[in-house]
Amino acid sequence: MHAHIQQRIQGIINNLDQLPSIPDVASKVLTMVNDPDVAFKAIADEISKDQAITTNILKLCNSAYFSKGKEISSIDRAIVTLGIKEVKDIVVVAATREILNKIIVGYDLARGELWKHGIAVAVLSKRIAVLKNQKAIADIAFTGGIIHDVGKTVLALFVQNTFREILDLAQSRQIQFSDAEKEIMGFDHQEIGEKILTKWKFPEVLKSIVRYHHEPQKAPAEYLPIVSIVHIANTLCLMAGVGIGADGLYHELSDAAIKTLGLTNREMEDLYGDMPRVLDQASGIL
Amino acid sequence: MGASSSPGILRTILGSCVGICVYDRMKKVGGMAHILLPNNPGDGNPEKYADSAIPLLISRLMKDGAKKEFLSAKLAGGASMFKFNASVTLGQIGERNIEESKKILEKNGIPVLEQDTGGSTGRVIDFFLEDGRMKVKAGGQEKLFYKV
Ligand SMILES: [Fe+2]
Ligand SMILES: [Fe+2]
Repeated sequence: MHAHIQQRIQGIINNLDQLPSIPDVASKVLTMVNDPDVAFKAIADEISKDQAITTNILKLCNSAYFSKGKEISSIDRAIVTLGIKEVKDIVVVAATREILNKIIVGYDLARGELWKHGIAVAVLSKRIAVLKNQKAIADIAFTGGIIHDVGKTVLALFVQNTFREILDLAQSRQIQFSDAEKEIMGFDHQEIGEKILTKWKFPEVLKSIVRYHHEPQKAPAEYLPIVSIVHIANTLCLMAGVGIGADGLYHELSDAAIKTLGLTNREMEDLYGDMPRVLDQASGIL
Repeated sequence: MGASSSPGILRTILGSCVGICVYDRMKKVGGMAHILLPNNPGDGNPEKYADSAIPLLISRLMKDGAKKEFLSAKLAGGASMFKFNASVTLGQIGERNIEESKKILEKNGIPVLEQDTGGSTGRVIDFFLEDGRMKVKAGGQEKLFYKV
């Protein structure tokens, strides 16, 4: 363990200013959507206050992935046509693109790779949720998929100098990469991600997805299914090479996640084999 | 995947998938297949499976003027998750992809001259069509494979 690195990371966490920011509208919308007393009109007004993000949101509403055919030209129409859950997902896509769509040096991800990875994991998570009768949480799985690796954006700087040590430790001790991150730097990218979501005032379920996506068996019982969905989607995307970085496949495929969702070998292979189509769909959002 | 003549570089990123770089050393034409799974169930997209993608690549190269006797192959990819339960068949998919790719190449009389496969590492492959060399970037390090 490098005490000075741990201290520097602790310093970043303590000083919220040093963690990445996203437009306020994202957390407001996430909270409002969960409140049955808030009218759709109020949510639409809240979004429309932010002109820049509204433009991006409307573009996404009319993209191949989200569009229902009819041209959408206002947030009100978007909520009526696509539904509030879909619009909430689109708000998160628009709000997080800037911080995720960049080079992630220490993990050796070229510009756009982490963004593409998050979107692919989001699309696949939604698909798994629908396949395994979890349609009610498909939208949350999508949101969680986008941001699950957000901690990498902060930790990358430190991984750059310790990568060899982390990998050597993972190999010699037969532990997964995120566990080795924690041993060497005092923190792993899941924990940093959770801190970032706390700063953003995101709900507990999303924090759990980010915090446990490499160890779903440790998630609170109520969130086990949704964390398992994102865990499986992440695994399949990495196996297909989508957003695979220097940490490669030095991760664990959780048996608990497979059992929780009741995924058969056949279903796992079919989902993996369908990755080219997932990527096609994801490219409509990039 | 695709077959094209030099100059040009074909790039792909691999996890458990296998990249099969085939090159004609005389004609200097080459192409790459990027397969996800070993066997086509019959109605699948032929480019995704070793047993259909490799014959397809070979016939495309021959259309481009390649001769079978001058073709050779290099393989990369086929990594596995670091840890998984042995009963999960997808866990062995990397190994099965490598095995099937070699089998199909052998069936077609194409020798595998070099390979960088297995383990748990991700790989970025560049296949240079001017001379058939393959560059593999894995875990921050680069390796070059020249044999054609
Ligand atoms: Fe991760
Ligand atoms: Fe990931």
